[in-house]
Amino acid sequence: MTPAELEEQPLLLDVRNLTIRLNSAAGLVHAVEDVSFVLREGQTLGIVGESGSGKSVMARSLLNLLPRRSVAQRQGSVVLSGREISALSERDLQKLRGAQVAMIFQDPMTALNPVLTICVQVSEPLQQHLGLSKPAARQRAIELLDAVGIPDAASRVDQYPHQLSGGMRQRVVIAIALACDPALLIADEPTTALDVTVQKQILDLLSRLQTQRRMGMLLITHDLGVVASRADYIAVMYAGRLVELAPATTLFSAMRHPYTEALFNSIPRITDPAHTRLQAIPGRPPQLHNPAPGCAFAPRCQYAQQRCHRETPPVVPSEPSVSSVVPVGQTQHVHACFFPVTRPITGGAN
Amino acid sequence: MTDKPGQMTPLQLRERDDIVLRIEHLSVNFRVGKQTVQAVSDLSLDVARGETLGLVGESGCGKSTVGRAIMQLPPPTSGKVLFKGQDLGLLSGEALRQTRTALQMIFQDPISSLNPRRKVRDIVAEGLQIWGRPGQQARVREVMEAVGLDPDAVADRRPHQFSGGQCQRICIARSLALDPDVLICDEPVSALDVSVQAQILNLLEDMKQRYQLTMVFVAHNLAVVRNVSDRVAVMYLGKLCEIGDTGSVYTRPAHPYTRALLASIPDMNPLSRHQQDGLPLLQGDLPSPANPPSGCRFRTRCPNAQPLCAEREPLMQAVQQIEQNETQAKAANVVSDHFVACHFPLFG
Repeated sequence: MTPAELEEQPLLLDVRNLTIRLNSAAGLVHAVEDVSFVLREGQTLGIVGESGSGKSVMARSLLNLLPRRSVAQRQGSVVLSGREISALSERDLQKLRGAQVAMIFQDPMTALNPVLTICVQVSEPLQQHLGLSKPAARQRAIELLDAVGIPDAASRVDQYPHQLSGGMRQRVVIAIALACDPALLIADEPTTALDVTVQKQILDLLSRLQTQRRMGMLLITHDLGVVASRADYIAVMYAGRLVELAPATTLFSAMRHPYTEALFNSIPRITDPAHTRLQAIPGRPPQLHNPAPGCAFAPRCQYAQQRCHRETPPVVPSEPSVSSVVPVGQTQHVHACFFPVTRPITGGAN
Repeated sequence: MTDKPGQMTPLQLRERDDIVLRIEHLSVNFRVGKQTVQAVSDLSLDVARGETLGLVGESGCGKSTVGRAIMQLPPPTSGKVLFKGQDLGLLSGEALRQTRTALQMIFQDPISSLNPRRKVRDIVAEGLQIWGRPGQQARVREVMEAVGLDPDAVADRRPHQFSGGQCQRICIARSLALDPDVLICDEPVSALDVSVQAQILNLLEDMKQRYQLTMVFVAHNLAVVRNVSDRVAVMYLGKLCEIGDTGSVYTRPAHPYTRALLASIPDMNPLSRHQQDGLPLLQGDLPSPANPPSGCRFRTRCPNAQPLCAEREPLMQAVQQIEQNETQAKAANVVSDHFVACHFPLFG
């Protein structure tokens, strides 16, 4: 789909001003702070961030999957296909999970139950949500395994997770996620535990299935390369905040936030000759409990000025011609920085 | 030429005076239940002084086992590891302990490789204490400063007070305390955040210069390996597929597996995504190392496999240089530094 076509798709997910604070022994963790974005049908939004940037907490909160006791505060709204998630009862949520919204996790071994056969695990959502009979669910499970590229699905279906390789297990997890034809797929680091050749297979598979089924996808990863090649839009998170959001092509050609730039420059390139000096980001990601005032990236930012240490920069449109209010329901280039990068990035894309 | 690779000197080994580490016909077997798994099979390579050798491959290819076998942890099943001409396998326990101070190692998970109960000062000083080296205090300060830690601020702290990146700095300081010749890095940055990874890679380069280190760098991230390596060796199911000058291997991969690995890396340019789809995709998963395919071990996933690949194991052969260099190379009598074990290499 072209960018213009993507913008015309019906709205699937509308997250507005989502803030989540978690209890911890060290104090209140500001895990997600004032995050807003929209996702339309058939779109892929890549969410990039380092560990502790809040990307997984944000993803889990979309389905209320965070342990109730650990959530100290939750503000903002999550509207999925016109329904406000936080207003739903646990019973209604349970109907949603695995049916309308499915999730894939990082480690396929721990996501599968080691003592149940593949058949039981793929059939479960089919029986639960679609009310299929056991034999019908089994038949459908074999079809699903076949669709995700598991060879000899009819005999694999009776195996246990330990009999499959990591890549095969992740395919099973994807088959379970797709069982009820969800409108939204949340993939949280789906290929991080996999080798690079298997990663490509899995990402290709996800792209293909997404196009076939017109699913919306949230692709959460720490790997800029993965989202560059797969996402329509990319959101960059740092210390719980969304610091930049743009169409993938725009982000890589005209990034505005210094953190996006620093992250981009610090990654070794496969095309760079050996011993190319890397532009490392000094310091380390901040602690999320009792955050200091100001921009969280300021202590590591080469452009930071006094104001950055005092005030938190709001999310503003990156195109100067557009009005300063972010239009609701649109995905345009935005960033949260007082002194955004303007010059073209050095080195260029890979 | 004979078909028994064990009978001759492997082609990829160099006859040079400055070879610090030379591995000949290394095999490492592990017993798993009643089966024997050959984790490393007849692998030969060498590392010259001041060189960084990158060792890449997917999980289970034996790259970490090679790193450990160099340290004799555990001693290899067969084959030799020569350090400065000395066969480590022939050394007795005490002599091996002595020699091994010159070979140091850092690991993937920096937090679990540090004793949580000890202070940073004692962790870094341990090797010096064991060997009763003089000037311990000064040496500990020096290496800590070298890796970017302030000795006054951190020496009395314990590992849990540090982030992953700082723990890796402590591990590097500890490995440098005994002034080693060779540093073996086993996935040193794969557990670190992207923004910290570059710091540690730069630090390793600095330390290599400052302490004239020879490095073996084991990693699965091909971009990281290219950044640090002078030469690179690609492994698949315990076998060496391709070895040579980093630039040559990355720009002209001769083994179909190397090409597939390189093609699998997600491109950082969103505009090129449509071109990627056409590249040959590596099918299937890694076969079981307990029962590797006959002949070439890669043939079950290779897009170019022929009947010959199942019958005979490919021997290492030199990859020819690009034409214009070829005449120059012949004139200067320089042999190309790029070798591949494939019957049908992409560049013959």
